[in-house]
Amino acid sequence: MRDARTALLADPAVRGRAFGLALSDAVDAALVEAFGEVDESGALALVALGSYARRELCPGSDIDVLLVHNLRGRGSADAVRSTTEQLWYPLWDAGFVTGHGARTVKESIALADDDLDALTALLDVRVIAGERDLAEELERKVRDLAARRRGRVLPVLADAADLRRQRPGAIAEMLEPDLKEGAGGLRDVQSFEWAGWALGAPGGCSTLLERDFLTADDLARVEAGRELLLDIRVALQRITNSRSDRLALQEQDAVAAQLGFASADALVHDLARAAREIGWIAGDVWSRIRDTLDRPGAKGAQVDQAVADGVWLRDGRVHIDADPDGSIPPLRTLEAACAAAESDVRFDRTSLTRLRATGEPTWDVWQRAGFVRLLRSGAHAVPVFEALDHEGVLARLLPEWEHVRSRPQRNAYHRYTVDRHLLEAVAQCARLLDAGDAGFVRGREVDVEAVVARACRRPELLLLSALLHDIAKGMPGDHSEVGEATADRIVRRMGFDSEAREIVPWLVRNHLLMAEVATRRDLSDASVADNVAAACAGDAERLRLLYLLTIGDSKATGPAAWSPSKAALVRDLFVKAAAAIERGEAKAVAADRRDALRERLGEDRAGIFLTRLPEQYVLAFDVDTMCMHESLLSESPTVRCERVDGGQVVITVVAGDRPGLLVTLAGALTVCGLDVLEASLFGTTDGHALDVFRGADPFGRVADDDGARVTQTIERALAGEVDLAVRVDERRRAYEGITKRSSPVVRIDVKSDESETDTVVEVHADDDIGLLYRLASAFTELSLDVRIAKVATLGSRVVDVFYVRDSGARKIDDPDAVARLRATLVDRMTG
Amino acid sequence: MKLVVGIVKPFKLDDVKAALQDFGVQGMTVTEVQGFGRQRGHTEVYRGAEYTVDFVPKVKLEVLVDDDDAARVAEKIVEVARTGKIGDGKVWILPVEGLIRIRTGEAGSDAL
Repeated sequence: MRDARTALLADPAVRGRAFGLALSDAVDAALVEAFGEVDESGALALVALGSYARRELCPGSDIDVLLVHNLRGRGSADAVRSTTEQLWYPLWDAGFVTGHGARTVKESIALADDDLDALTALLDVRVIAGERDLAEELERKVRDLAARRRGRVLPVLADAADLRRQRPGAIAEMLEPDLKEGAGGLRDVQSFEWAGWALGAPGGCSTLLERDFLTADDLARVEAGRELLLDIRVALQRITNSRSDRLALQEQDAVAAQLGFASADALVHDLARAAREIGWIAGDVWSRIRDTLDRPGAKGAQVDQAVADGVWLRDGRVHIDADPDGSIPPLRTLEAACAAAESDVRFDRTSLTRLRATGEPTWDVWQRAGFVRLLRSGAHAVPVFEALDHEGVLARLLPEWEHVRSRPQRNAYHRYTVDRHLLEAVAQCARLLDAGDAGFVRGREVDVEAVVARACRRPELLLLSALLHDIAKGMPGDHSEVGEATADRIVRRMGFDSEAREIVPWLVRNHLLMAEVATRRDLSDASVADNVAAACAGDAERLRLLYLLTIGDSKATGPAAWSPSKAALVRDLFVKAAAAIERGEAKAVAADRRDALRERLGEDRAGIFLTRLPEQYVLAFDVDTMCMHESLLSESPTVRCERVDGGQVVITVVAGDRPGLLVTLAGALTVCGLDVLEASLFGTTDGHALDVFRGADPFGRVADDDGARVTQTIERALAGEVDLAVRVDERRRAYEGITKRSSPVVRIDVKSDESETDTVVEVHADDDIGLLYRLASAFTELSLDVRIAKVATLGSRVVDVFYVRDSGARKIDDPDAVARLRATLVDRMTG
Repeated sequence: MKLVVGIVKPFKLDDVKAALQDFGVQGMTVTEVQGFGRQRGHTEVYRGAEYTVDFVPKVKLEVLVDDDDAARVAEKIVEVARTGKIGDGKVWILPVEGLIRIRTGEAGSDAL
């Protein structure tokens, strides 16, 4: 037998099942011969168990045999053992590892009752030599036991099948799959047989067929899958000369060659496809077995719940009707799919098979909407799509799916096959959209992703792009470029609008852009963000969709593809690019306003006016207000006070520009009891200041007398007749203790790169009486000239931006001066 | 033998890797990390709302070198990774007591 074994091992033409049969036959022959020489006292039967019984021996398989006897007493059992030891010698000599024992039928049953592994090993039992009756008695009793213990056996088998999906994981998703224990592997196939026995006669997969747990078509696929798995397992163990079931990367080329595949890629592709089918069928079968365990025979006990025309829910499953001619309108299929995804339920098996008769989609508005709705349903859509693909329906909706079905990616970075990755990407994007719907402020933290999701105008385009972004991975060429053309074709075919036809192919083409730029470019270089903004053609919507697609794609790739580190980089790039787009938009707005102003005032007047004021001025006000300012400037110095909508006031001051002007005005306003919410301050080229304050008027000062008192106070302050420091301090102390404040959180940013001519100082702080006054005093104290200021209040927080220059009318370059500035500001604000 | 460790900005990784390979370094280990130094992160504003970034993404690389080369490898990293702006990172050198190549069993400098 040793020679027979060596010969078989050496001949690569003997594959898979043929190898198993041949080797089993050789072992059978040797054992029969050895058995013939045993001195029998009493009945003895030699039976095979496990893979030997199934005749699926692989080069590394153990030989499991059992000696069944009917002798009583331990003494006789020992005697049996000693006389039969010689049976095992030929096996050991040939280098097999054997599992052997001697037991009575009763002992075997007792053991099987106790231990599920023993039971399943016995379910595959085959007599080799000896008393047939004894062996048959064992077989019968084991199968009875399995059926009797069905309530215990089936859940354990079902759990084990689920666990295989986690550990070691699905064969199709592993870089180095475990052919036996991986989900979609040989264990899953064997489990069907065992489940069949537990459910009763006739046993094995035939029971499953009879009771409609398995369709004939699915059984055929399982058989085909098993053939392939055996082929690969035999070749693998032959090559590695080991018992391992793990198809390691380094072995894949040799195995592919021995089996006649064009390449390791082709091998892994076929393996993935077979494993996914087996895995899907296993999931389906076990879920239905679990149902019968939970609700034995309760068919029709629940009320049907109509979902759509021809679609209804019954017993937690989705059912679908065919039309009289046997076909199913595509809209009905889509609605059934949506129902399954949204309620997280499976299809009824017969209905699922019926879906094969789904007609060609015409892609009218309803079908499009149904498809988008299915994508939007999120993670639950993934199994629905896989079910549709199992029955060939997905290929009808999307013929290009053929290229990516079960296509493995073969590196540790990508966990899933391409098709599964696309579905997971859609699910991740749907989750991002959910977060956008939910709301996005947690305390002071802002979830940028959720803000962006909320702001998207065309979220369905995100989902479509996620579905199609790698669709060209099975095709020759660069998958981004080919993908663009493919996506274009698909979107056209589905009848989407012109904006969709522009954006979706663009997203597919550029889906890697943000991830690559964020990790490989210096984000502090402004041109980087500008380039991304330009790539988006200045369209904020494209940028938003691209950002979310980047996140969804990365999260759906694998654990190495997305980390807080990477998320931070991509978010940073997004914010900068968004700002770049806004600047671009701002330029457009500014240009429009300049044109409008020229129309109103005439070229000359407008020209003179615009040159007097800094560039940023045009962005701050509408055309009417600018005209009003223009006339005010000729009346300098002057104060204008107006009430505006919402109970607020706008105070416009035109005066000769001088150091400390801001301090004076801010102080005067505080003294008047006005709460400055916004301030825009501009210095003209000819030495005037145009300062516009928007404030809240909590005490109704302006309302009372049309602003006369306020105007007077400001004028007196400008004339130096008011001791502002004292008065402001008085007010502060008066209100201290009434408004309780926790220690203020203060942020000060001094940026030298924002502007070419000025240093930009950004102050974030809690709102407080006289805050602007104190900041302005600090600047004056340090002899800094505030040329432009923008004050904004968001809730209780204030964000003030000042463009300052030193006394020499230049940016502050000296780091010591910057440090002193910060220290003084902090001191003023917390003091 | 020494272990030279560098924390650099992510986009500098390719440049540093190329420079070290030119120098003759045979291998390196790279990890994505986050960290902060005196810069202490920064605040971004998006749509008028602030979000604080405490940790800044960086890349850590580790290279095993001979004692003689350690200083020069460190200098090379510094030279290539420097942008002059805040957050450029740091490089440090650790002593290595023992080194073995798993596949062959080579030890010490042979395993570099």
